[in-house]
Amino acid sequence: MNGDYNAATASGRSPLPPGEPVLEVRDLHVEFRTRRGTLRAVNGVSWSLEPGETLAILGESGSGKSVSAQAIMGLIDSPPGFITEGEIRFRGEDLFALSEDRRRRIRGDGVAMVFQDALTALNPVFSVGWQIAETYRVHRGTSKREAYAKAAELLDRVGIPSAHERLNSYPHEFSGGMRQRAMIAMALALDPEVLIADEPTTALDVTVQAQIMDLLTELRSELGMGLVLITHDLAVVAENADRVAVMYAGRIVEEGTVSEVFTEPAHPYTLGLMHSIPPLHRRVAALDPIPGTPPNPARIPPGCPFHPRCAFARQHCREVEPPLERVGEGRASACHYWEEVKGGE
Amino acid sequence: MFQYALRRLLISIPVIALATFIIFGAVTITGDPLQELRQAPNITQEQIDQIRESRGLDQPFYVQYWRWVTDIPTEGFGDYLISPRPIWPDLQRVMGNTLQLVIAAEVLAFVVAIALGTISAKRQYSVFDYATTTISFFGYSMPSFWFALILQLIVVQIFFATGVRIFPIANLSSADPGTGLAFVLDRMHHLVLPVISLAIFSIASYSRYMRASMLEVINSDYVRTARAKGLREGKITTRHAMRNALIPTITVAALSFGTLMSGAIVIETVFGLDGMGRYFILQLGRRDPYPIMAWLTVVAVIIVIFNLIADLVYGYLDPRIRYD
Ligand SMILES: Nc1ncnc2c1ncn2[C@@H]1O[C@H](COP(=O)(O)OP(=O)(O)OP(=O)(O)O)[C@@H](O)[C@H]1O
Ligand code: SF4
Ligand SMILES: [Mg+2]
Repeated sequence: MNGDYNAATASGRSPLPPGEPVLEVRDLHVEFRTRRGTLRAVNGVSWSLEPGETLAILGESGSGKSVSAQAIMGLIDSPPGFITEGEIRFRGEDLFALSEDRRRRIRGDGVAMVFQDALTALNPVFSVGWQIAETYRVHRGTSKREAYAKAAELLDRVGIPSAHERLNSYPHEFSGGMRQRAMIAMALALDPEVLIADEPTTALDVTVQAQIMDLLTELRSELGMGLVLITHDLAVVAENADRVAVMYAGRIVEEGTVSEVFTEPAHPYTLGLMHSIPPLHRRVAALDPIPGTPPNPARIPPGCPFHPRCAFARQHCREVEPPLERVGEGRASACHYWEEVKGGE
Repeated sequence: MFQYALRRLLISIPVIALATFIIFGAVTITGDPLQELRQAPNITQEQIDQIRESRGLDQPFYVQYWRWVTDIPTEGFGDYLISPRPIWPDLQRVMGNTLQLVIAAEVLAFVVAIALGTISAKRQYSVFDYATTTISFFGYSMPSFWFALILQLIVVQIFFATGVRIFPIANLSSADPGTGLAFVLDRMHHLVLPVISLAIFSIASYSRYMRASMLEVINSDYVRTARAKGLREGKITTRHAMRNALIPTITVAALSFGTLMSGAIVIETVFGLDGMGRYFILQLGRRDPYPIMAWLTVVAVIIVIFNLIADLVYGYLDPRIRYD
């Protein structure tokens, strides 16, 4: 039953050549063909993730964060969703070129995902222990007992008290924070190389949010996995990420290390986001401080998609779409006038 | 789970008690139970008085009810009014026959409907989906006796054309059904057409519910999670999706059990089966209230038992129900 991918991972993965990203997204385009027209949810997103690194994907609601993550995991329902362009490489292997079966084996094993709302993301009719053990059994083909032992170990690892007794509990018997912990335990079952966390704390109370983020960062450094942290919370980015990619209307508009992007934004959108943080770095629940609203993905404006809301915009911006260009060591911006933005503050 | 089961069981007891009260009340207030007897030519007033007394008909209503209901466990349902024969053996026989028909139809309907509903949902808007939708619409709107007659007609035509009797179109057994396995096979052979005719409506109705709940479930977050875990698509459907989608479908099936029972009465008439339907109509004609009350009580108990089974299955499938 075990294919070659399993055999390789079970006996420890071969090390990546130095400098090689573990996950790479290149020019990804995703659209949804609906009755109300074609929604361009993701329009040419590229980024890469080094092993053990935390990359934050920051953006307003509807900017295409979740859709790009789902494209990586192969979770986009088609129809209505179509990946029209681009490639995704995991350890150098083009995921779209793989057979469905090999892709399936990578899911959960090489790349795992934690979802926003653990209450709906866990199956209500199976016990938490069973759901964690299932991941293990499906990929590793171990006995039920062994898988349950592993599940107890994982629950304990994510900080669920008396983990062994809680194995038979159902999701509705857990608190929100515990459910998200269980979700994380499930994602970590196979010791993945990359964990994608899609707004893992937005459904939780503020106090619990910090605990879950701490747990994620701790586990990331302990297990040495790469973390893609999807969020719209600037504070979460500032506290947990190494690098950040800012998304707007299905594109990356700026990318760089967290400290550089936060201190010296090179895109008017990022600049607007920074101005939205109240002084003393207080946490903001949602960000919409920039005048106007993000474009409808069915009608993205021509030229620079940000131009209707941009204080720097001029005629050129309405006509020519700015490409994502290198603007320094490990930094990129998709603005014609990035120098002006970066220089003048 | 045990506590849940016990609770459901305890709730059914007052339900059945209430049902017997309503049945007794409704049948007694509809008239004098001895009316038919009085008009019989060769019966004396003395005899009538004697029956009246022995049945306690001179007592107040609640005494009569209490007497009737407390006698059920020990005496079955007593004797027929006119002939001194016990009701229970007859009722037991027809009930057994009807239950064979109804349970077979329910099981067939459930299994077929789950398969159809699941496949339709998985291939929404496919030819298969449209075809089952159309056929279900027919199954839903046509009366079951019509299907029964059509099936009989087809079988008869085949007999005329080829001389082969594929299925019997009447009775529950052959003239000489044999014993043991031969008897069972003969019975199954006789039940094929009645069961199909009876199941068609339920297949149409349950499969619609299954399709709808399956569609909802396959777009749920936990199915997406199952996919993200790297499960095979088949496993996702049969394990994660189906288990959840079955919950509303089971409720519908349980609530429709009464409808199925009434459908059975019609089907029994069409196929001339010695079941509860024919028995009921026979006793109505005789104007004897005792077998009628017995019949109504038995039907109430059967429906309560099936609801209880549905509750248990429900509790097994959905832990959220089980524990609160
Ligand atoms: N299944 C779908 N069918 C149609 N449109 C979809 C579907 N999934 C996503 N979209 C559209 O794609 C766009 C991007 O959605 P996405 O979920 O990626 O946003 P997001 O950045 O994750 O936002 P949020 O912060 O609200 O989670 C949205 O406009 C959304 O309406
Ligand atoms: S390209 Fe023009 S419109 Fe777009 S962000 Fe830069 S300045 Fe603003
Ligand atoms: Mg999202």
